[in-house]
Amino acid sequence: MAWRIEKRSASFARSPAWVFPVSLAMAVAVGAGIFAALGVNPLTAYGVMLKGAAGSFFHVSEVVVRAIPLMLTGLAVALAATMLLWNIGCEGQLVWGGILAAGTGLYLAPHLPPFLVLPAVVAAGAVGGALWGLIPGLLKAYLAVNEILSSLLLNYIAIIVMEHLYFGPWRNPEGYGFPGTAQIAEAARIPHYFGTRIHLGLVLALVLAMVLYGALRLTRWGYRVRAIGLNPRAARYAGFGIRSQIVGVMLLSGALAGLAGMAEVSGIHYRLQQGLAVGYGYDGIIVAWLARLNPLAVPFVALLLGFLIVGGEQLQSVLHLPASISVVLEAVLLFGLLLSESLARYRLVRRETGRAVPAAGEEGA
Amino acid sequence: MTISPPPALALQDISKRFGEVHANRGVNWTLRAGRIYALLGENGAGKSTLMSILAGRYQPDQGDILRQGRPVRFLSPAQALAAGIGMVYQRFMLVAPLTVAENILLRRGPIHLRGTREIRRIRELAERYGLAVNPRATVGTLSMGERQRVEILKLLYRRAKILIFDEPTAVLTHAEIENLFTVFRQLKNEGKTVVFITHKLEEVMAVADEIAVMRRGRMVSQLAAADVRSRHDLARLMVGREVILSVDKPPVAVGESVLQVRGLTGPGESPRPTFRDIAFDVRQGEILAITGVAGNGQEDLAAALAGLVRLTGGTLRFQERTFTAAQWRRRPSDRIAYIPEDRHRTGSVDAFSLVENFMLTRLDVFGTSLLVDRRRAAQATAEAVARFGIQGGGLRSQAGHLSGGNLQKLILARELSRRPALLIAEQPTQGLDIRATEDIWQALLRQRATAAVLLITGDLKEALSLADRIAVMFRGRILDIVSARDDGDIDRIKLLMAGLEDR
Repeated sequence: MAWRIEKRSASFARSPAWVFPVSLAMAVAVGAGIFAALGVNPLTAYGVMLKGAAGSFFHVSEVVVRAIPLMLTGLAVALAATMLLWNIGCEGQLVWGGILAAGTGLYLAPHLPPFLVLPAVVAAGAVGGALWGLIPGLLKAYLAVNEILSSLLLNYIAIIVMEHLYFGPWRNPEGYGFPGTAQIAEAARIPHYFGTRIHLGLVLALVLAMVLYGALRLTRWGYRVRAIGLNPRAARYAGFGIRSQIVGVMLLSGALAGLAGMAEVSGIHYRLQQGLAVGYGYDGIIVAWLARLNPLAVPFVALLLGFLIVGGEQLQSVLHLPASISVVLEAVLLFGLLLSESLARYRLVRRETGRAVPAAGEEGA
Repeated sequence: MTISPPPALALQDISKRFGEVHANRGVNWTLRAGRIYALLGENGAGKSTLMSILAGRYQPDQGDILRQGRPVRFLSPAQALAAGIGMVYQRFMLVAPLTVAENILLRRGPIHLRGTREIRRIRELAERYGLAVNPRATVGTLSMGERQRVEILKLLYRRAKILIFDEPTAVLTHAEIENLFTVFRQLKNEGKTVVFITHKLEEVMAVADEIAVMRRGRMVSQLAAADVRSRHDLARLMVGREVILSVDKPPVAVGESVLQVRGLTGPGESPRPTFRDIAFDVRQGEILAITGVAGNGQEDLAAALAGLVRLTGGTLRFQERTFTAAQWRRRPSDRIAYIPEDRHRTGSVDAFSLVENFMLTRLDVFGTSLLVDRRRAAQATAEAVARFGIQGGGLRSQAGHLSGGNLQKLILARELSRRPALLIAEQPTQGLDIRATEDIWQALLRQRATAAVLLITGDLKEALSLADRIAVMFRGRILDIVSARDDGDIDRIKLLMAGLEDR
């Protein structure tokens, strides 16, 4: 009993560099165990995933396509979390981005000069998400409503509104009863590259990651965001307007998620339909945490998750394993990270040995 | 062997250090059953540390604890409680959404699994000791006095023989204090030992059998309450006659009034606001100290003047401009610098670098409306580091790695660089070593040349060394403002701090 576990005194110490590789290794190991339990040779399974997600240029491009919305929602969550705000509402903000982008593409585009259509669609996506993010922001800032709950619950409302639109007023009259709007105008579709489905969203996400990184470090606004996140008491002492800061950050966070919805509608589906709300908003939380809130790391983590998603689909089609295996791997990765991060806060120390005196008298009084 | 039974508890040569600070040094103390002990001492005298050692929260570096003559060693409060020693902390350790009975039985599993036998026992205990409280009431709905009774019941339920109270009257109303003392006497009659920490002399005289006085970690005096001739003796014992560090205090021409407050009243849910009817003037070239025992409203007053706590009444005149309490929100905050008491949690961001911390209250200066100017901030920080001799890492290292003294110098340098007309310094040297203390003191004295200084301190020595006038606060009011130059007044300040108005 000469050793004991002690909490490291410096809570502000950065977590060590080994945390990410270790959690990745844990995820791979646990995944191997699951494959073995399902009766599949883990090496075969990982081989299928690798081949399916990285086997050809087309496969890689599909990984990128999946990663684009994850990058944007990951940035959205990371920005809010830098200020200790938990934006669990990216899914709803994404949906609203999609709704306004689709609406613009469907109903506004014919009335706009051609060169304005695309900017209008992109802006509409950002505005849709921003407005949906504004609601929990205002509630938090002025009524102290927990943003985790409010932003989460607003997701369901957003999805119902979207369904109402494509089942009802916005339904494609020539759609033979399929739920979904008509296709948006050609001019309202964002450009694609390399003959793949990779679209403008990638450029947006990468540029925004760099802008966000720079803004957090170089601007007064970014300084305030970081100060509030690290020590709200000190920020209050310094006289930062915490309320307006909350509202502003939730607006921006919502806008980022809204752009993800816009890119999905305008770059992939070309319409509002089932399949827009597939959980990119929630996966953004995982992306942000795996990236440890660093905007520059977000695109890479998003690619990793995109790889898992595409690879998981391959497992289903080739080995007939449930595709949800990729969700399990995601989860293990996140748990591994959280576990390693909390373990990193402790260290093993030798217990100082005082004089051995029997513990308290048990007099049973 | 003597015939008398061994004492309920004996402390022998107890010492405890926290880093450089000796909280307890060679403390000897004997506690007997059926007696009420008052433990007196200034802030930082080591009372709370000593009590925490008794209650098993800390372990002594050196020395022995004898429980009924047998050596014991407590690794946790649970072990101390098993040996019959329990403590009621100043901040109650209760779970607000649970009922009284659930709180009392907390460590013994969910109450709904247990019968009404436990409730009956709680009721019996409550009746026997005069601790009126309904076991089924939710703790969150109870007054402070009632919560304290729950804490006492918690200890009695676990058959504590020695009950320790850390400033038990601080949160109570007058009637509740009377009640508590009745409970103390009842505990004594039942053969229990009561120990309570207090700063208030009239309480000592009212209820204690034995008095122990600590100063600077040592037990300096133990006497029977019956032997105390006057409260003045007690006040003197408590504060001591320490040599005041001689500070070179060059005279400075006193200028115009910078801040004038009248009838200032602060927030407060309890029967009284945390401070009320505060009136004082402070002029350029002078230091006005506001002193008092911790918890008498001076903390909130400082925060309210700095704009962090809401004022509910009164007027302020700052540099020719008059403000009502509500208008103080729009005070010219760039002219007022505030050095908060908690330098780690309020005054700085420990994960930020020295440079980033230097920008904290000066963002408007270091940068354009959009960007932060790190180069200029780094330059200013480097100058401050050189001028104040701040040691412990480069400009880019995290402020959390600095020692308390160096961090305080950084904060002070930052606030002084704003060239304020009013400097509010709250406990600026608390926990600092002598060298850092002197550096901070010199800086405050220098600041008189350009500003009015309001020094909020619980350290009388600091107030006497620096201030021109000393305002003494007690229970939210300024009892009097006395000149710091007049030696005859020092005794009076001590009495005022203990709440004795002798006029």
